[in-house]
Amino acid sequence: MTDGIRRREVALRLFAHELSRSTHKIEPAGEREPAYVLTPTGAKVNRVFSVGVLLDKEEVRPDSNLWRLRVSDPTGVFTAFIGRYQPDALESVIEIEPPELIAIVGKVRVFEGLERNFVRVVPENINVVDRTTRDIWVCETARRTLERLKEFGKTEDSKLAMEIYNTDINEYLGIVKQALAAIVEEQIQEITEPPEEEEEEEFEGFEFEEEEWDLSDLLED
Amino acid sequence: MVKDEKIASLADSIVSRFRNAGVEVERSEIVKRLKLLIHEFKVPEGEAVRTITNWLMKEHEVSREQLVEKESALVKIGDINKAGEWVSLKARVVQLWDATSPNVSQVGLIGDETGIVKFVIWVKAGKGEVEEGKSYLFKNVVTDSFGGRLQVNVNRFSEIVEIDEEIQLPPKEIEVVGALVAIQQNSALIQRCSECRRVMTKGICPVHGKVKGYDDLRIKGVLDDGASIYEIILNQDNIKELTGIGLDEAVKIAHETLDRNAVLSELKKALLGRYLKVDGTKGERFLLVKHVEFIREADAKELLEELQEELQ
Ligand SMILES: [Zn+2]
Repeated sequence: MTDGIRRREVALRLFAHELSRSTHKIEPAGEREPAYVLTPTGAKVNRVFSVGVLLDKEEVRPDSNLWRLRVSDPTGVFTAFIGRYQPDALESVIEIEPPELIAIVGKVRVFEGLERNFVRVVPENINVVDRTTRDIWVCETARRTLERLKEFGKTEDSKLAMEIYNTDINEYLGIVKQALAAIVEEQIQEITEPPEEEEEEEFEGFEFEEEEWDLSDLLED
Repeated sequence: MVKDEKIASLADSIVSRFRNAGVEVERSEIVKRLKLLIHEFKVPEGEAVRTITNWLMKEHEVSREQLVEKESALVKIGDINKAGEWVSLKARVVQLWDATSPNVSQVGLIGDETGIVKFVIWVKAGKGEVEEGKSYLFKNVVTDSFGGRLQVNVNRFSEIVEIDEEIQLPPKEIEVVGALVAIQQNSALIQRCSECRRVMTKGICPVHGKVKGYDDLRIKGVLDDGASIYEIILNQDNIKELTGIGLDEAVKIAHETLDRNAVLSELKKALLGRYLKVDGTKGERFLLVKHVEFIREADAKELLEELQEELQ
């Protein structure tokens, strides 16, 4: 952005299957520029809007006010972290008892682990929503995903995504169909355990620094 | 008669144009020729004006430069109301279309805060290309009427200069469907200054200081459709329609909980993360809401059916 006024970043729509595989950071172009994460279909994401089931919430350490959430949509699970710099989300999450259908608006962050990177959503807002909202979100996310697949291989970002993730378009087409089928059958299962156990274990031993959370740009817009 | 009024105004503009260049011309003769060309021969207004102007220039030995330099006042697009006038405009290129004629170099829309008008840059004008989104001073362009609509023509006496100024566009009516992804802190039950209606913070008006205020209900929020964001303002009627909470209910909640912020919490619970369909007027920054409603189950079904058909 060159015009001085920084525009608020759009919240992209990504299925959990894609979001949880988005581990490639794109460094900000300048000091005041936003950070992005590249997704397998070639989206550059800074903020997401997601609707899914809050499977569980857990305070990372007692009285730390740092909460880990696991959220599922029909395609998979992603993890969110709420800390004291997200007071609105913190206030909401304390009142919500899983399992519950929620909408999350949040920043997408990639943290570097010992062996691999982790993607985490840092929620700005969380709210309990109804099934209709979930259905619309699934349709909207399917639509946006199909748009990205259509452009895949044509844009610079998607070429980079291909290099990094070796993206299989059919896999993502399948994900879109799977998500739509799930709402047709009115059967959103709370997917039990994601294929990410290793990652979770690794995370326990991974010290992330407190200032990682002092993401001042979270508070800016 | 409307027809004659039109002729009269065209004649006036020709007369005044020559007067500005220091030349008196015969008005009655101009009216006669205009009537002949426009009413009898059905020549387009702009063309008729041009023909008569050319004839007068020859008659009175006035050069085009003389004519052009004397006028072309800077006007707003909203003020353009007749063909055949030389004007200058500061405007932003809103849209470029594909030129359909080999004589046309560029065609599209330009706008300022008062309106939007079609423009044509003729190949013969030999002018540099304009770019969408950029603002320019269009100097000495001619208004014209084409198919009953006004437009401006850039000819070889015109000049196009890029300006380092963001020209604003007029507000426009739009419909947006998106998720409400944020509600600002200064929303819900607010107090306005009873003198200027500005929102007060802690009983203080930014202009009038500590004055008497009155309660109002509004939401400043962000609607996001996954491709763009819209800053929206919902007034108390919009909020009541969506949530059932009007000003009276809000005041009651504040009294019962002894906390004005309780209203904000209630409204956030009712609205955050929900999909809204909004009709309103889009200004430079805010989308002023005329009508708002939740997306319904039937809308979701329709979306789903469309997608499934596409994926067959
Ligand atoms: Zn005031």
